[in-house]
Amino acid sequence: MKKTIALLLALCMLFALAACGQSAAPAPAANDTPAAPASNDAPAAPAANDAPASNDAPAADEPFVINACIASEPETIDPGLISSVDGSTYTQHQFENLMKYKMVAENPADDANMQNTEVVLGQAASYEVSDDLCVYTFTLRDDIFWSDGEPVKAGDFVYSWQRLVDPATASDYGYFLDNIVLNAAAIQAGEKDKSELGIKAVDDKTLEITLEAPCAYFLEMCAFASLVPLRQDVVEGNDNWTDPANIVVNGPYKVVEWVHDSYLRMEPNEYYYDAANLGPDAIVWWLSDSETAILSAYQSGEYDFIENFPTDLIADLQASGDCFINPYVGTYYLYLNCSKITDWRVRAAMVLSVDRDNIVENVTQGGQVPATGFVASGILDSTGTDFAFGVSELGALYNTLQKMYPDADLSTYAGKCELAKQLYDEAVAEGAWDSGTTVVYNFNTSETHKAIAEACGHDWQDVLGMNITLENQEWATYTNGLSEHGFGVARLGWIADYNDPVTYLELMVTGNSYNYGLYSDESFDADITQAKASLAGPERDALLYRAEETLFGEGGFPVCPIYYYTNMYCMNGLTNVGYTGMGYFFFWYAQQA
Amino acid sequence: MAGYIVKRIAVAILTLLVIICITFLLMNAVPGSPFLTEKSTPEMIARANAKYGLDKPLYVQLFNYIKNYARGDLGTSLKMQEGTSVSKIIFHQGKFALSLKLGLYALLLAVVIGIPLGCIAAYNRGKWIDGFLRVVTTVGVAVPTFVLATLLLVTFAVKLQKLPTLSGSLPDFKSYVMPVISLSFYYTCYVAKLTRTSMLDAINQDYIRTARAKGVKTRALILKHALRNSLIPVITYLGPVMAGIITGSFVVESTFSIPGLGKYFVQSVLSRDYPVIMATTVVLSALVILMNLVVDIAYKIVDPRITLTSKED
Repeated sequence: MKKTIALLLALCMLFALAACGQSAAPAPAANDTPAAPASNDAPAAPAANDAPASNDAPAADEPFVINACIASEPETIDPGLISSVDGSTYTQHQFENLMKYKMVAENPADDANMQNTEVVLGQAASYEVSDDLCVYTFTLRDDIFWSDGEPVKAGDFVYSWQRLVDPATASDYGYFLDNIVLNAAAIQAGEKDKSELGIKAVDDKTLEITLEAPCAYFLEMCAFASLVPLRQDVVEGNDNWTDPANIVVNGPYKVVEWVHDSYLRMEPNEYYYDAANLGPDAIVWWLSDSETAILSAYQSGEYDFIENFPTDLIADLQASGDCFINPYVGTYYLYLNCSKITDWRVRAAMVLSVDRDNIVENVTQGGQVPATGFVASGILDSTGTDFAFGVSELGALYNTLQKMYPDADLSTYAGKCELAKQLYDEAVAEGAWDSGTTVVYNFNTSETHKAIAEACGHDWQDVLGMNITLENQEWATYTNGLSEHGFGVARLGWIADYNDPVTYLELMVTGNSYNYGLYSDESFDADITQAKASLAGPERDALLYRAEETLFGEGGFPVCPIYYYTNMYCMNGLTNVGYTGMGYFFFWYAQQA
Repeated sequence: MAGYIVKRIAVAILTLLVIICITFLLMNAVPGSPFLTEKSTPEMIARANAKYGLDKPLYVQLFNYIKNYARGDLGTSLKMQEGTSVSKIIFHQGKFALSLKLGLYALLLAVVIGIPLGCIAAYNRGKWIDGFLRVVTTVGVAVPTFVLATLLLVTFAVKLQKLPTLSGSLPDFKSYVMPVISLSFYYTCYVAKLTRTSMLDAINQDYIRTARAKGVKTRALILKHALRNSLIPVITYLGPVMAGIITGSFVVESTFSIPGLGKYFVQSVLSRDYPVIMATTVVLSALVILMNLVVDIAYKIVDPRITLTSKED
């Protein structure tokens, strides 16, 4: 008996010790020197910005390692499967597309160490467009190689693009080429084989892409992370091909170590054509979702760059010169369910009576810009004008109403409330809306969403006398509810996939999967369809401006835009960091400040 | 005894089966999908469901889970590390080992500090030291872990910079300090309170009075006679706690950026990563069942009067 007990306890202890013995990988060593980049004929490294070198800068022979934290563990770093901004950022560091983001001498915010980017040729040396603007022929650079030394071929792009649209891949961005590249939508729908996608390798260095119709933003799309080239022999048949031991990349950096839920370490890819000019010797992407821990690590000097931190500390961090606010091409908005709030005047009244200044100044406090339309600020029309303010300073949200009610003063909140009350009372008086109805406002669990919901609910109750009930749901339940259209009001945010108004406006087309508010207007649908098949230019701009005005005109108001997003970050000791309005930060040419 | 253990193992397997069925049913009753994002469409979700077999009837999916578990296959993550085997995530990536190490140290601390504190308080009942310990332990069980963890983090990592902010994979002694204290503080205080109460009960028993009358020294009286009896409620408490504590704490692991199992389990539920939910539940349940068995055997060691088997056995 005693022996049995002793044996059992010994076994338990052994089990515990064995499990303890499986030591996880240690923290990334700051001192291991990366493999020396291959010297090539590229010009000398660009000089760091004019920022003076800090006195406590490390010695010249010490490796320059950037410790950044932009998110928690990514679901995947497979470019064909990624759907998050952090996943795209890791991809942009590891892979290069036909086009790429290049830093320009312009700062997105008042941080001299952060620079804007523009889309320029990447793996492609040049491109030609056919007369009907539907066929793009890219010629690849001669000096592009994979990290195992193999040359990058046009066929690698063909494989990657076909894999993305293949229904079997089930990629979140499988729809990305729909109605743009020939047959993409039909392949997604299972009606055609992936080999019929409008992309072919004419030879190893020539890639031909056929579009369904001219696309004004196609080159911009060619910089998108989901469309980077992939090697079929690396990806096929290996579920773990993104593991550091297996991955083969063509971009500036390559993941060399991945301790799940802890960090991803990248080091320069010696075969990258511009390897000699890369900045950091290593980039360590820390994977954490605890805002307190992230900020603590930044304040104690363990992180050089962070994106997520407690919003109530933004003011203090800005005052200390750590926190900066970049524009971010995204809109925070509410769906107003057209099947529940059936009268457009009630929806318009709700849109007008939200005090957006109060929300951005007192609730979110992150420098967000009050929304004046659905298309996010930062999306440009063909003349380079910000689409959000292209028609007037009032913005699309108020343009049509101002024309319909010229006496209303829609430049002030009081004037908006006055018109809101008038529209609401009209709807009630005509029996189009029962003032005793309680509208359910759904939001997913978050202190910020809750505070915004409370602010909107208060405004609607205060200005219009509406009854509002707030319902909080965790994310998966919430998104499920959205597609079932059971809500009265529901929040969502939309970050642009590419710089064109269509990325927003097509969401409201009849039958679109994201048209959760069930809006439907024939003239709006027709304008969007026509704009999608038109070339960039004044006529296309006019179609898109008209579409957004229709969206916020009689019969419309299916959404209530609240604010345009901003991207907050804290950075210390770095300069020459790149940024795009889509939320990607680039560190490959970063220098020590 | 051997018969008893065999019987318990049989019951354990049955219990696990019931747990698998209930978890599966609950998991599927909750709305949502692992593939829902702000930009996912019904068509995209249908394609992903087909890819991972979630379009099959529920009874087929349940049967597949049971069949795979019987073969030792815990499935493949759908969301959190898409395409990676769950057993690789739990065991080979060191998640379980990290939570286990952290939990064992925390438990050790709770026992090594909590029990003596309880004894000291009971022995000095009514004196200032008892009052002081009562205040400390009451505060200890009342303060939420995240408050204590944040307080430690801000004080020792940010302000004093004596300890690392990121404990990560617990590479050195320093990285253990704050997570272990945060995790064990509640249990230490609770064990101290429990020990004090049961020790007071024991001290007032006749056999202690008799022993004292016979001239047994106080130290021997406490350690040899009173402590042994007063440990039974503590062991009863520590059994289930042990299973819980060594399988990870979401709060502590999140705060100190430790890639452990506790954090992963909670996130799997929020992401609806079904195979991860199922596998972690099975692994944790197996641990709880094992710990209960260990506790029953430990009873016998502490108190030989307890019989584990019925007369028929």
